[in-house]
Amino acid sequence: MPDVVIRDLTIEYSSGGYAVRPFDHFNLELQSGQLVLLLGASGCGKTTLLSVLSSLLTPTSGTVHVGETEVTALKGAALTEYRQRGVGVIFQGFNLIPSLTARENVEVPMRSAGRSRKEARARADELLEMVGLQDRIGHRPGAMSGGQQQRVSIARALALDPPLVVADEPTASLDYIQVDGVIRHLRDLAAPGRIVVISTHDERLLPLADRVVELTPRAILDQRPPERTELAPGSTLFRQGDQGTLVYEVDEGTIEVVRELADGAGEEILAIIEPGGYFGELAPMFGLRRAASARAGATPAIVTGYNLRDFRGRRGSDVTDLTLDEDA
Amino acid sequence: MWLISLRDLQYRYRRFLIAIAVTALVFGIAVAIDGIKQTLQAEPADLVASFHADSWVVRRGSSGLFTTNAVLPDSVVGALRDTPGVRSAEPVVTGRSTVTTGKRENVNLLGYDLRRGGPEIVDGRAPRSDHEVVVGDGIDVAVGDRLTTTSGTFRVVGRADGSRYNGGAPTLFLTVKGAQRISIDGLPLVMGVAVQGHPKTLPDGTSFATNDVAVADLRLTIKSAMATIDFVALLTWIIAAGVIGAIVYLTAIERTRDFAVLRATGSPSRVVVGGLMIQSLIVALVAAVLAVPLAFVLRIGMPLPVTLSGASVIRIVIVGVVVGALASVAAVRRALTTDPALAFGGA
Repeated sequence: MPDVVIRDLTIEYSSGGYAVRPFDHFNLELQSGQLVLLLGASGCGKTTLLSVLSSLLTPTSGTVHVGETEVTALKGAALTEYRQRGVGVIFQGFNLIPSLTARENVEVPMRSAGRSRKEARARADELLEMVGLQDRIGHRPGAMSGGQQQRVSIARALALDPPLVVADEPTASLDYIQVDGVIRHLRDLAAPGRIVVISTHDERLLPLADRVVELTPRAILDQRPPERTELAPGSTLFRQGDQGTLVYEVDEGTIEVVRELADGAGEEILAIIEPGGYFGELAPMFGLRRAASARAGATPAIVTGYNLRDFRGRRGSDVTDLTLDEDA
Repeated sequence: MWLISLRDLQYRYRRFLIAIAVTALVFGIAVAIDGIKQTLQAEPADLVASFHADSWVVRRGSSGLFTTNAVLPDSVVGALRDTPGVRSAEPVVTGRSTVTTGKRENVNLLGYDLRRGGPEIVDGRAPRSDHEVVVGDGIDVAVGDRLTTTSGTFRVVGRADGSRYNGGAPTLFLTVKGAQRISIDGLPLVMGVAVQGHPKTLPDGTSFATNDVAVADLRLTIKSAMATIDFVALLTWIIAAGVIGAIVYLTAIERTRDFAVLRATGSPSRVVVGGLMIQSLIVALVAAVLAVPLAFVLRIGMPLPVTLSGASVIRIVIVGVVVGALASVAAVRRALTTDPALAFGGA
């Protein structure tokens, strides 16, 4: 039975010259028959993870197994074979070939995989009937609604009966009437012997899920009392990519706010915070990861971490007049 | 995969029809130009063959008789006629002139006794006096008309078939004496002698030129023109490849998402490569086929005769295949370098 096992997955790419790691030693196991929702805000890495599962993106490090297949090690013909038979993809923008009819769009993966025209046609008709489009078989995408196109996309993903189906924001381009039809078909996809992974920020899909993986932890209102931390010279308070619930004020020494550059090219100091200054307020405010690291300067430093309520109480309206809000 | 390529051709048929029309026109011009080249290549051989000579006697060291200023005394004609093995020996006097009535154009002058052979007279008779001419193709006069040239005024007494040379220039056939009067001030000289039979000896100061040598000598005068025609033909093929390439490349840009999806869903590279090449080849081949009738239309406006042969058709189809294949290279490169992860982009 095909299970999905993700081990120590790290994906790093460059954004404006800075290193971004949506996944840093990420681990996940999914069981056969599950419908899994990847929930998270835009930019959290949902589509990136689907790209890795679909073998369209090679991670920086780590492994992904789908059943016995190590997806991250595939090359050449084995890679093509996996994309044909190992995974079916449902794209956010449907991505049907506009010059082909619904039936021909579903036939394409089968013809590419060497199935005869007759066999491919019969299977395409069967799948289009399954998604309720038996009367739209000869229509081109331009003559179909968004919901109908997405159902054709579902049929195409199932053409070669893959053990893994991934869907990227399948309801993003649909109105509420069209969503209804698509949701029912997505639920039916998760059957024994198949895993369905759906990336979405559409919480209407939550009741469908056997499992929800939240890639953006929800903002937690930290109630802790102020927390004083002593730092040796050069020691790190928090790292870029960490979750954060506290805003810090510098009591003694200095704090360097640094951001890692892409491709191992070192780091850039964004700011040096003097005593009386503060940093790290955006992550707790908006539930984001830390966009930079913070560490003590050349001398020992003492900082105090405040939860948002206490910090606002200390600073009042001054909080909106931040100097480091874009970086920390 | 044929299906995707054909469906895409149908889907974007307007642009492909435009590409076919423009390419067919360019190919048609290429075929017509090729036809002119065939004509120019055939003229010298046709002219030389029309004399039915076994060989030519020219002044020793001369490359031929139709393009030379090297002359022989006309006494060699009599000497050759008396030489054993010679059935006939007819003098040839050549020259150039310009027709000044109607359309001005350069003409070749050939002094030769057409009553004793040479190009066939299709209307009228051979010249009998110095002021009578037979005209070859390319001069719009009728038997009985008067023709004014920079060499004098002549009465047209007959018409001969073909007989163009020196890059399609028409020819006036005169008596030998008439040609001597115009070209060499009436001196008793000739440029060569057309000989039938095989003389055992040659008069002093003369040498043989075979028909092939005579043809090669005539072709020498149009060598640059032929090279120019070849170059223009090459340019037309490049233009055709450019037209097809641009259309297919633009299509490839529009289909970037399609290629990403095809690659993401496991379609092998050959499906993408083959699809684009098939489109290019279809456009090129349809254009090549349409170019043939188009060339027949184009030749109406051509100043020189255009020879359209089966070889021309086969050549343009082969060129079409090559042009089509080359035209798809840029689009294929783009398609093959498309990142399949692009398929995950939004709507």
